[in-house]
Amino acid sequence: MDLRKKILIVDDDADFTESLSAFLEAKGFHTLKARDGGEGLKIARLQRPDLIIMDVVMNERTEGFFTVQQLRRVPELQATPIFVLSSIYSTHPEFQISPDSGWLAHDEFLSKPPDMNDLLGRIRRHLAPKEATA
Amino acid sequence: MTAETPSELIIVIDDDYAMRLSCRKILSKSGFRVEDFEDGAEALNAISRLKPALVLVDLKMPGIGGLEVITRLHEIDPQIISIVITGYATIDTAVEAMKSGAYDFLPKPFSPEELRIIVNRGLERRRLALESHRHEIERALLTRRFVTFVSHQLQTPLVAIHQYLDVLKHLGDSADVAAKRNEWLDRCLRRTEDMQKLIKDWLTLSSVESGAYARRHDRVELSGIISTILQSYETMAALDGIQLESKAPAGPCAVFGDANCVSVVLDNLITNAIKYNKPGGRVTVTAEPANGEIAISVADTGIGIPEESRPFLFEEFFRVKQEAAQQKAGTGLGLAICKKIVSEMGGTIDVQSQPGTGSTFRVRLPAWREQPASEVVLVNGLAQEDSDRGR
Ligand SMILES: Nc1ncnc2c1ncn2[C@@H]1O[C@H](COP(=O)(O)OP(=O)(O)O)[C@@H](O)[C@H]1O
Ligand SMILES: [Mg+2]
Repeated sequence: MDLRKKILIVDDDADFTESLSAFLEAKGFHTLKARDGGEGLKIARLQRPDLIIMDVVMNERTEGFFTVQQLRRVPELQATPIFVLSSIYSTHPEFQISPDSGWLAHDEFLSKPPDMNDLLGRIRRHLAPKEATA
Repeated sequence: MTAETPSELIIVIDDDYAMRLSCRKILSKSGFRVEDFEDGAEALNAISRLKPALVLVDLKMPGIGGLEVITRLHEIDPQIISIVITGYATIDTAVEAMKSGAYDFLPKPFSPEELRIIVNRGLERRRLALESHRHEIERALLTRRFVTFVSHQLQTPLVAIHQYLDVLKHLGDSADVAAKRNEWLDRCLRRTEDMQKLIKDWLTLSSVESGAYARRHDRVELSGIISTILQSYETMAALDGIQLESKAPAGPCAVFGDANCVSVVLDNLITNAIKYNKPGGRVTVTAEPANGEIAISVADTGIGIPEESRPFLFEEFFRVKQEAAQQKAGTGLGLAICKKIVSEMGGTIDVQSQPGTGSTFRVRLPAWREQPASEVVLVNGLAQEDSDRGR
């Protein structure tokens, strides 16, 4: 049985997904890929990833925000950590809202491209067993 | 500039309670007054009393449908801006709605930001219509939207390239990543090329807009331009077994304008005709005089363009959302450039297409005429016109 933690990457840029997934696989995670919000939701429902990395601008709109909302409506996914990763955040700082103040219940908001070590650190923190922060 | 005016009233008509509630929340947060109605008839009754600036209408409602609401709404007050809310599946209906007078449509689901942007744009449009100098400001708005879009279009490939390089740097030694190295570097090169095309097209578009193009009023002979372009793409077309042919009339066929501009237009149309063709297909370019104009057509036997996409074809960044078209690299700016240049030159461009069978783009440009000197001067808008005439 595969004991690796599952990370779902939802992004419409196949190149970005390709390199991010290779990086995470090399760091011992199992990755799943989706090209848009709808596909992401479907895969998340079926595969129950341990963490989700979500792009914002897909299909020429801010589809990622909706997908986050839709994901949160699925009972089994309510506690799944979601990282919103986007470059809109450098041009539109107002998107960087704190997770519990806004309508968007994400767990981390990171700019794109992410600092790989920082991203890895955050992922490990969120996926570590609750009692010990490894 | 409108800080002192009382906030504008927005009406939301939707049978979905959650939708009305969230629109209300988002819009009142932005300082608008909001009223909502669950039913079209009820809303219409209240329109003359409430005098809204803008109305958001759901298309699919029990009772009177959204389309009818919009038509009746504009009968009551033609200045009201109406925006259609619609699910993805009803793009056709949204196009219908725009024809019936809706200002824009917003596909469900949408983000607060999208709602705010579209509402603000709609209201801005209304103010412009009410005020006088609408032209100038509308241009500024368009440019602003354009700049945001370009920044996203440039950022996306840069992020992808950065990330490839970053992962190679971090993990270049690991066997899995090393095996992908060459493929990744090729992808990086592809993405840089795409960016270069985007920047080039964007600059062309900007220079057309700033009036740097279409300055010259020369005699431009078409047959030479057409054959030069066709020759330069022969090898590329041959890869897919596509035949290029030109059917110019025997006699001279010249337009009045700028040779460089004409080349840019034909180059875009011909590359599209090759790009969106099918293996073994054909591209036919014709040019012939027609009522004081020259009619140029670029016809292909390619994938065609779905009818619902045609109204948007000449818009900046528009690309048809179908697998066969999206596979090809593109900026979505080529046809916008064509349209701008052609209208600068006093011509027109349109398209006919049969999905699955092919498309024909037709350009009409003013034909070259040998004229008395005074008339040429007149066309050029120079001042000596009168003294020349008098001579
Ligand atoms: N000859 C054609 N046949 C089919 N589709 C076309 C043709 N020309 C243009 N299109 C469609 O119109 C879109 C916009 O064209 P254009 O502005 O030249 O941008 P680009 O080719 O860079 O995508 C294309 O993406 C394609 O979907
Ligand atoms: Mg093109």
